[in-house]
Amino acid sequence: MATTGPIRRTVVIVDPAGLHIRPAVAFAKNAGKCRSAITVWNGEKRADGKSAQDLILLFAMPGTEVVVEIDGDDAHTAIDPLLAILATPGYED
Amino acid sequence: MEIRRGIAVSPGVAIGPALVLDTEGVVISRRTILASQVETEIDHLADALFRAAEEARRREQLLTEQIGREIGILQGHATLYEDVGLRRDVEAMIRTQHYSAEYALSRHVRNIIHRFDNLPANHEFLRLRADFLDLERQVLNQLLGIAEDSTIPFAGEPVIVLAHDLTPSETAQLDPKTVHAFATESGGPTSHTAIMAGALEIPAIVGLGRFLGDVASGDIVIVDGGQGVLILDPDPATIEIYTAKRLAESSESGLRYEPLRDVPSVTRDGVRISLLGNIEFPSEAVHCLERGADGVGLYRTEFLYVNKSTDPTEQEHFDAYKAVLTAVGPSRPVVIRTLDIGADKFSSVSGLLTGEKNPFLGLRSVRLCLKNLPLFKTQLRAILRASVYGDVRVMFPMVSTMMELRQCKSLLAEVREDLDEQSIPFKSSIPVGTMIEVPSAAILADVLAKEVDFFSIGTNDLVQYTLAADRNNENVAGLYNAADPAVLRLIQMVCVAAKHQDIDVNVCGEMSGELMFTPLLVGLGLRQMSATPRKIPDIKRAVRNLTVADAERIAREAVRMETAREVTTYLREQQRRILPDAAD
Repeated sequence: MATTGPIRRTVVIVDPAGLHIRPAVAFAKNAGKCRSAITVWNGEKRADGKSAQDLILLFAMPGTEVVVEIDGDDAHTAIDPLLAILATPGYED
Repeated sequence: MEIRRGIAVSPGVAIGPALVLDTEGVVISRRTILASQVETEIDHLADALFRAAEEARRREQLLTEQIGREIGILQGHATLYEDVGLRRDVEAMIRTQHYSAEYALSRHVRNIIHRFDNLPANHEFLRLRADFLDLERQVLNQLLGIAEDSTIPFAGEPVIVLAHDLTPSETAQLDPKTVHAFATESGGPTSHTAIMAGALEIPAIVGLGRFLGDVASGDIVIVDGGQGVLILDPDPATIEIYTAKRLAESSESGLRYEPLRDVPSVTRDGVRISLLGNIEFPSEAVHCLERGADGVGLYRTEFLYVNKSTDPTEQEHFDAYKAVLTAVGPSRPVVIRTLDIGADKFSSVSGLLTGEKNPFLGLRSVRLCLKNLPLFKTQLRAILRASVYGDVRVMFPMVSTMMELRQCKSLLAEVREDLDEQSIPFKSSIPVGTMIEVPSAAILADVLAKEVDFFSIGTNDLVQYTLAADRNNENVAGLYNAADPAVLRLIQMVCVAAKHQDIDVNVCGEMSGELMFTPLLVGLGLRQMSATPRKIPDIKRAVRNLTVADAERIAREAVRMETAREVTTYLREQQRRILPDAAD
């Protein structure tokens, strides 16, 4: 499949504790399996989606809109499972 | 004597010598390396991160074995040690600044802490600050070759640990046998350290502010974890008061009233009051028996659903129920409550809506189950299948109309038919009950009573829905009061309805664990109460000091009163008369 530039999607953090350790770890772990580069933005703050540390330091509270940007050849298959992690309260692998 | 108030995070009283820990940790001085050493230094870092992750996993496992369930906090830390972002940042400092691995790591964590310190006070994420400090300390220990368990020195004798802060890893290492309590200057009520203290059942206070300058190791101190009070240099009279309080509390762990375990729960005039335990996890069934419970009055099943990404399988349900029934034995009842969950709880149960404007009045509990029949039937099937192992009873939570109750019952009948067709064994007639926790159900109790074998009054929700007040909302929490006459009248209606149809009625909310209410509940006609296992010996003692006539008089008086305040004052007075030496 030809890549057509990065995919960007907006998602609202729903976990009642925000993007804290557990969801950040789950997101980073799943992102780590992708070949694409993954970046998550909370306003101006930017995180490598493959790093739980970076994701936690976005300090994204419940209700925050974050932007997930995926750039690479597996972006189309990777995006939905990743968004689901942020859109599920109490997500666990 | 000096009294300090902090945030109460784990209840219990402890008196003993202080052990003051210098948990500010090692100070890393700036050290640079030669350009030729960069790769070796980076290997050194990778090695330390790897060992720190291993160590965190090992501690998580030890802790799980110790308390019988998984907390998962240290497991999360393990993943952070392996984090690509952490490696990227620290490696960059080693490469570009030629910092030593220790100094680079320390600088990096200081930068992160600085970002936390810039958050507004009260920010939800502040509780994670300690986790990053923990990360720094654990990795430094590995880099510097500091022995893994040396952060908490033990004198061997029981101590009360006082520190500026304890990280979750340090707390996990505290042995409740030697550390009778801890108190820290910083920290908040929802920090991972606080959660760990609760799980280990170590009395703890956090967020006390500066006090370490006023105390030295070996000084006698008092921690009252329930009240969040730390007393430095207590005078003899205070020590005496708290010694008594501690003795009274040790009864809650079943120690002081251990002899009561095997005596029957009967009033002075010979009326049997059945005392049952409320449990959440299968491992707690044995706590009920140890405290002399007559069975399990409330087996919450949410643990099967919470923090999972898929709904539990029938087998998972079945195993959890069979474990409790086997532990409790064939002759004691086990009341299983079907899924009682709503959007306020952490879960990804299928069908659960997020973003309901008013989740407490929304699609929760049995309403959710009735919208998601496969989920509900899976649970009912497992309950019926487990019924061959003991005296299972099933009850439906948050029923608010007759229609709901009938739907639940007809589903149960359908599941029975399915099992029959498949020749799967189950008990044909297990008692079926409904919880009474919505005012409409209490008002309609006389007709609901014709449809069920028992009622169980869930006072926590009944109080909240009757007074329309959320007790976790500080602005209205004052309205939430189980002693409110409106609540008492509803309970009375339910008891009268149950008596009329000759069905059992039980109280399984927190009200049953408060000794002040024991005479009132017996007086209103309750012959069963279900409470957290550690409360059972105390309730039994209260029951054994009562006569039914006395209790009925107390109930009559209380129900006639006009305000919760009057009721509370009156019930406390009566409690002091009946149980003169009770602590609360």
